[in-house]
Amino acid sequence: MPVFKTPFNGYSVRFSPFYESRLAVATAQNFGILGNGRVHVIDLSPSSPVINELIAFDTADGVYDVAWSESHDSVLVAAVADGSMKVYDTALPPQANPVRSLKEHAREVHGLDYNPTRRDSFLSASWDDSVKLWTLDRPASLRTFREHAYCVYSVAWNPKHADVFASASGDCTVRIWDVREPGSTMIIPGHEHEILSCDWNKYDECLIATASVDKSIKIWDVRNYRVPVSALNGHGYAVRKIKFSPHRRNLLVSCSYDMTVCLWDFMVEDALVGRYDHHTEFAVGVDLSVLVDGLMASTGWDELVYVWQQGMDPRTA
Amino acid sequence: MTMTQSPSPPNSNDDKPQAVSEVAQEANQAQQDVGAEAAKQSVPASVFVNSEPIREDQVSNAVKFLSHPKVRGSPVIYRRSFLERKGLTKEEIDEAFRRVPDPTSSSKPASLNQDGQAKSSSNVQTQAPIQTPQPVAVAPTGIASLEGRQFHWYHAVSAVGLLAASGCGTALLIKKVIIPKLKLWVRKVVLEEENDYAKKIDAKPSLAEEAAAAAKAAAAAASDVAKASQEMLNSKNEERRRFEEFMSLMDAQVQEMKSMSNSIRKLGGQASSSGRVFSDHDDHRVSASSTKQSYANGKVDVNVQLEGRSSTPPASAEPPHPKSYMEIMEMIQRGEKPSNIREVNDMPPNPNQPLSNPLIAPRTKPWDAQNGSDHQVLQSQTSAEGLNQNGQDDGLNYLLDDESSTPWWQRKNVRITEIENEDEVKDTGPYGVRTNEQPPPPIQRTWVPPRPPPVAMPEAAEAIRRPKSTPKETATQEQSADGQSAAHPSEVTDELQRITKMSESVGALEMNGGFSTGNSAVIQEQENSYGEN
Repeated sequence: MPVFKTPFNGYSVRFSPFYESRLAVATAQNFGILGNGRVHVIDLSPSSPVINELIAFDTADGVYDVAWSESHDSVLVAAVADGSMKVYDTALPPQANPVRSLKEHAREVHGLDYNPTRRDSFLSASWDDSVKLWTLDRPASLRTFREHAYCVYSVAWNPKHADVFASASGDCTVRIWDVREPGSTMIIPGHEHEILSCDWNKYDECLIATASVDKSIKIWDVRNYRVPVSALNGHGYAVRKIKFSPHRRNLLVSCSYDMTVCLWDFMVEDALVGRYDHHTEFAVGVDLSVLVDGLMASTGWDELVYVWQQGMDPRTA
Repeated sequence: MTMTQSPSPPNSNDDKPQAVSEVAQEANQAQQDVGAEAAKQSVPASVFVNSEPIREDQVSNAVKFLSHPKVRGSPVIYRRSFLERKGLTKEEIDEAFRRVPDPTSSSKPASLNQDGQAKSSSNVQTQAPIQTPQPVAVAPTGIASLEGRQFHWYHAVSAVGLLAASGCGTALLIKKVIIPKLKLWVRKVVLEEENDYAKKIDAKPSLAEEAAAAAKAAAAAASDVAKASQEMLNSKNEERRRFEEFMSLMDAQVQEMKSMSNSIRKLGGQASSSGRVFSDHDDHRVSASSTKQSYANGKVDVNVQLEGRSSTPPASAEPPHPKSYMEIMEMIQRGEKPSNIREVNDMPPNPNQPLSNPLIAPRTKPWDAQNGSDHQVLQSQTSAEGLNQNGQDDGLNYLLDDESSTPWWQRKNVRITEIENEDEVKDTGPYGVRTNEQPPPPIQRTWVPPRPPPVAMPEAAEAIRRPKSTPKETATQEQSADGQSAAHPSEVTDELQRITKMSESVGALEMNGGFSTGNSAVIQEQENSYGEN
């Protein structure tokens, strides 16, 4: 399984929804504390397990997250630590990039998600406690959702309902929003500590998973959100990112500061079905391919990006 | 084509949140949810809205929390965030905020005069955890505030302590200071007596003479006294005799008078002698024994906990940061900047640079395809043949999959291969834009645009989407291509109606089992729009 070495510390990795072999990686210098950032667009070579870099874009500040456009196959958006977001078009020559700089947040932009249903809009989650809604054709945000009392770490669109999304925040709550409503429609006080990530189940649009500093992942049903459907324990430190499988209803992947990437089946008694400990530093980014079942990628502060097929060891050649 | 159950979007408002077609069971359940919520809200509500009624106990707890003086001084956002963390819904929090001014003004009218009273009554009315830090905080600071009966015993204990200390002190003092002084004085007196005795021996003879003289004088005096007392006795006796004589005379007179009065009584009528009876009225005072002091219980049993929450991670875990991470943090704290940072200009050279045309149409998601409406079942069945055609849509001209090797990342474990056949991503049929593709499979798999949820109330949706000046488009792929033209607000409502009509038409056509001209018309339009750009 191939490895890609980035010069900076990895923060996020995303598969392209158009090209099976293409990924984007967000990296930041000096662990994201202070320094430049870089967005890599990498490609898996079909014949040999090698990863090639197609193009890289430098930014003034660290890049915390990256998201591919669902409408344009060559466009991606990067969340930068200076509060701006950069839009890149890989089909244009490198000198023409970035094509947009969207600067409205007062603090670091930590999370991005592109709407997979309507494919026209995307959300940004920022440490200035707000979430903003954007489209590619407008330089200004369409909506600002300001209710959280602390940093918003992650946003996720609902895979079925194009107007519904969830945001996870350091104020220990997850809020469900509807873009047609002025405020949040539901507040889930999911954990006693900061919630770093949330994601919807792709096959049951009422199930949402939250990952927290308290090392646990909880699955909630929004129809009965007082009690979690399931709690997944097993990580040794804070869980940084989770993602539900686009191909399997019950499968979910998580990465944590304990340097492992874990695979869970939350409907099973013994939920942990896989564990990969290939990283030598915090594992902060993980993604599952929408186009290829079982293909997963992860990145961490050890400046490495791994891409492997579920069931195989990411470190084997 | 089979008649399907795919719900066409504008059928009923209840189906609106379930715009994507679902299994009938789920649709029923959703309708039940919506039915339950429809009573509450006039707008057809989705599953993602909280439908619980307001819980009165939570609201009253929240009111108590908000009424506390310390909480009143904190920013509103922190109060709201606290209540949200405790699991209150928005409605309950709003209700509590609405109620907060009233209870405090009506229940404590007289207590506003005295601060002590106010504080004690607020202690009574508000919650325990605020008070547990309060008494703990006050007691160590001493007896500065005497308000509150809780501090009585503290006061008494310290007084007793002081007394004991002073007693011990005086005892020590006595032992150490006074007793030696006493001893000295006694010694001194003894010494003096000894001296005096010595002196007395010398003066003895003169003393004897003086004593004799004194004795004579005393005798003379005694005899005089005896004489005098004798005379007194005599005189007393005489006086006694005279007194007795007088007494006898008086008795005689009294008897005469009695007889006279008797005779008068007999003669004249009876004269009534009135006597007065004096009775003492005892003042029986009933003393009211109402001096029962009631100590208010300072602790009120409330569920809401107000101990300060720390936002630090769980006790065990501060994950071990890499060594260089700590070095960099220290550098930053010292004010140094790491040396590897360089100046990067990441601003767009042309902010109005148009985006390049997409080469590939968006692919349907596996979850949409799997749960898709039944007309897509046909696609899935036929797609089994085209399983390996995923590779063809990659923009890279490498091995096509009908040749020997599949890309390494597609080699799956055997056990999941069978299952995956049905789950494969549905191929979106190539457009005429592609040049070097295989001939399309016999059955035209056309791209079905994802249906946007229909706009039940276009005016409301438009109003909500109008953040500043320009409204948001409800964009499917087609509309985004026409993006520039829709910037004019006047056209928005037309746009919305056009969109809803178009989606309706697409849905209707699909219901008829649709790979009919409807779809191709949609696709033709898109092709044309691409051609224009």
